Amino acid sequence: MNHAASNSLVIAEAAKCIGCKACELACFAVHNRDNGVGTAVGTVTMPVLPRLYVIRTDSFTMPVQCRQCENAPCAGACPVQAIRQQDGVIAIDAEACIGCKACALACPFGAISLYKAYSGGAELPQPLLQERRDSRLQRKTRITAYKCDLCRNTELPGGSAAGEGAGGRGSSAAAAQDRNPFPACVAVCPEKALRLVEAGTGRSRSLNREGGTF
Amino acid sequence: MENKVLTVCPYCGSGCQLYLLVENGQVVGAEPADGRTNEGNLCLKGHYGWDFLNDPQLLTSRLRKPMIRKEGVLQEVSWEEAIGFTAEKLNAIKEKYGPDAIMGTGSARGPGNEANYVMQKFMRAVIGTNNIDHCARVCHGPSVAGLTYSLGDGAMSNSIPEIENTDLLLIFGYNAAVTHPIVARRIVKAKQKGAVLIVADPRKTESARIADTWLPLKGGTNMALVNAFGHVLIEEELYDKDYVSNFVQGFDEYKANVEKYTPEYAERITGVRAADIRKVMRQYAKSGKAMILYGMGVCQFAQAVDVVKGLASLALLTGHFGRESVGIGPVRGQNNVQGSCDMGALPNVYPGYQSVEDAKIRKKFEKAWGTSLPDKTGYRLTEVPHLILKENKIKAYYIFGEDPVQSDPNAAELREALDQLELVIVQDIFMNKTALHADVILPATSWGEHDGVYSSADRGFQRIRKAIDPPGEVKPDWQIISEVSTAMGYPMAYKNSEEIWDEMRKLCPSFAGASYSKMEALGGVQWPCPSEDHPGTPYLYQGNRFTTPSGKGQLFACEWRAPLEQPDDEYPLTLSTVREVGHYSVRTMTGNCRALSQLSDEPGNIQISLEDAAEHGIADGQLVQVYSRRGHIMARAQVSGRIKKGATYMTYHFWIGACNELTVDYLDPVSKTPEFKYCAVRIEAISDQAQAEALVRKQYAELRKQMLVGAVPE
Repeated sequence: MNHAASNSLVIAEAAKCIGCKACELACFAVHNRDNGVGTAVGTVTMPVLPRLYVIRTDSFTMPVQCRQCENAPCAGACPVQAIRQQDGVIAIDAEACIGCKACALACPFGAISLYKAYSGGAELPQPLLQERRDSRLQRKTRITAYKCDLCRNTELPGGSAAGEGAGGRGSSAAAAQDRNPFPACVAVCPEKALRLVEAGTGRSRSLNREGGTF
Repeated sequence: MENKVLTVCPYCGSGCQLYLLVENGQVVGAEPADGRTNEGNLCLKGHYGWDFLNDPQLLTSRLRKPMIRKEGVLQEVSWEEAIGFTAEKLNAIKEKYGPDAIMGTGSARGPGNEANYVMQKFMRAVIGTNNIDHCARVCHGPSVAGLTYSLGDGAMSNSIPEIENTDLLLIFGYNAAVTHPIVARRIVKAKQKGAVLIVADPRKTESARIADTWLPLKGGTNMALVNAFGHVLIEEELYDKDYVSNFVQGFDEYKANVEKYTPEYAERITGVRAADIRKVMRQYAKSGKAMILYGMGVCQFAQAVDVVKGLASLALLTGHFGRESVGIGPVRGQNNVQGSCDMGALPNVYPGYQSVEDAKIRKKFEKAWGTSLPDKTGYRLTEVPHLILKENKIKAYYIFGEDPVQSDPNAAELREALDQLELVIVQDIFMNKTALHADVILPATSWGEHDGVYSSADRGFQRIRKAIDPPGEVKPDWQIISEVSTAMGYPMAYKNSEEIWDEMRKLCPSFAGASYSKMEALGGVQWPCPSEDHPGTPYLYQGNRFTTPSGKGQLFACEWRAPLEQPDDEYPLTLSTVREVGHYSVRTMTGNCRALSQLSDEPGNIQISLEDAAEHGIADGQLVQVYSRRGHIMARAQVSGRIKKGATYMTYHFWIGACNELTVDYLDPVSKTPEFKYCAVRIEAISDQAQAEALVRKQYAELRKQMLVGAVPE
């Protein structure tokens, strides 16, 4: 599965996208189950934080997301080595991230955003820094870099936690079963405009050129 | 314990089937089902639009108990008191002013066909008036009128799945990507399969973006372009002479009417290049299979019925009827607007499009309902404010599952009209802007809490099913209406929705064979379905037999008329109302879905061109003031290169940026549909953005308070 030569990635076809943002919502929901999103439990008090972005210009509409670059400039720019090649994707370790924005600046696709961190539906405060909010000093919310992780660390709806590949919980077969077979955006798109290009499938097909300039 | 309940999405008219996932009596998710139209796909509203059932109280709050206004304040009362009050008041008004002083609406939304059948029966048999209408009047009313004249049936001639197999699509004033993502999917697939795509729209919509030819016509010039299309078909002898002589009437008159609309003449009016007009008509006429899809960009003008007839004439001239993947499709924008028309929630027809003025038909219904019935056509929804304020003719208004203050034009006038009435009854699931003017509020079950049937845009009857128990003391719509009826002295008692459906089927020849069990077995049934052994009808007019009185298609063309309110120095821009994909109509439902409201929230946007934004010094995302002759509101500027200079667009979902405070109530003379797509506005930049943002937050908080948000549910 984990082909050393190329990472998997999700790619969109502008010729099919209608700009409905179902992918953004699905991405947000699948990554925030712990925050009560996409279930009836709790209240969604957080803003929609997707990891792919429907871009609409004069001549095209399509979601843009991380390309899982082989020689990732974001990883090169990270001063704390929080971005690594891991299991066929480029992964950000949110725990280690210091929110310096170097990766977001380095990314040529604009695929990395810095968002507030949430836990249990509430903003996650950091231990040290404080800021004045509502005229009193409060602990500043932790802010980290987020990008597409191909839903590697998400749960299947109603399922258990996704496996972490070899060396994760239990056997890798069980892990593969738990893992989302498709990234949420690919599964949800009503136009089938998104697809997962699997690692090791050889050539990565270029974007349908029609997409740009009708 | 999780279980799955198969039902139909409550938003647009695509008729997507989905499973509601229910855990411990709560809906916790939705999954696409393999429905005829959606084939295992849903848009974001289908995926995330169920959350309002959990009453998260974001925009407004769920109605749980009946209320009556006492000393100016709405107070919770028992059902007995609410029904008694309503019946007594209605009887008194009927007694004093006559039955025609009472107006009622159908509901094209959650209630379903059975409730609409009962409502129109109540208005006709119990009140004794044909004053029943619903929101089709402000959307596809012109389609019902125009296509009935031209072809015989006012619905889509062909089915949604057929779209992807056509050779050519002519899309006119219809933005499927936003209004029907699941129909847009068929358009995308048609394109992928090699169909030619032609889009006539002032905006560069997603369909326009992928079109072979985009015709960026100037807003309000539809008739000139459609006439020029007809002119080319005749001038270049592209029309099907055999077909016209065998199946079509009115050719000579049509030819004379389109005579002067040369492409060059039309170019001066519409801004569409003459060469493009010729090119697309050559393609359309020569295609083996060509389909026309159109939407509100045709219907929401004061000249709408004419354009509908004109579009139907193009298909008649070229013989694009009576087969798969041809014809004309007015894609209905609400989950059950086709259904409320089917059920006769219209002032001129009983269920099944049977005329109230036809004595033989009236006799049939009189016999079935055991009472005498009125024989003249009733009032239309959009005439109501005028009938109240200017003519003093309506005294009571029974508003069922609609929010006209938010959805109808010229909101200020409508509010004034409601306040002048002696009785306003609001029957709904959420507190809304119209309910603020109600004398009595009757809380009803929502989609997901009752059984029934919806009609999809392409005439498809499909079952909706109860997934969860309703909150509070709410009752199904048909039961509430039955109880009011009984209290007024006309007993109605139905055991369930199927019993109502069966009563309706007996009276409607074209729906007679569409039983619950057949829908269960086939997943849905497309009307006409005249008998138990009939499989339903995917496309109409087989054998080119039209359902007009003569059995032939009727050609029609007439002079182009400019929209009524033109821009001037004081109001230099035009405003058109549109939709956005993540929200729905008056937003009581989607505005109470956590994920959807996070994606886009108050005060809503106004789309403006790059040029106009630069001229006014407005940056993308800034709040701006918008004025018209009828009111003013605040909205957020959405600056886009896809918009023509001079034009602006607002979605009608938002309560603070409520575009219907601005719109004009000019009506089409035939269908009485308002000109939502054209009025004059002025836009002003706001220098203190922080103050404006604070004001929006304040207005939002006030709104929610009015909507009883935060009142603790029991």
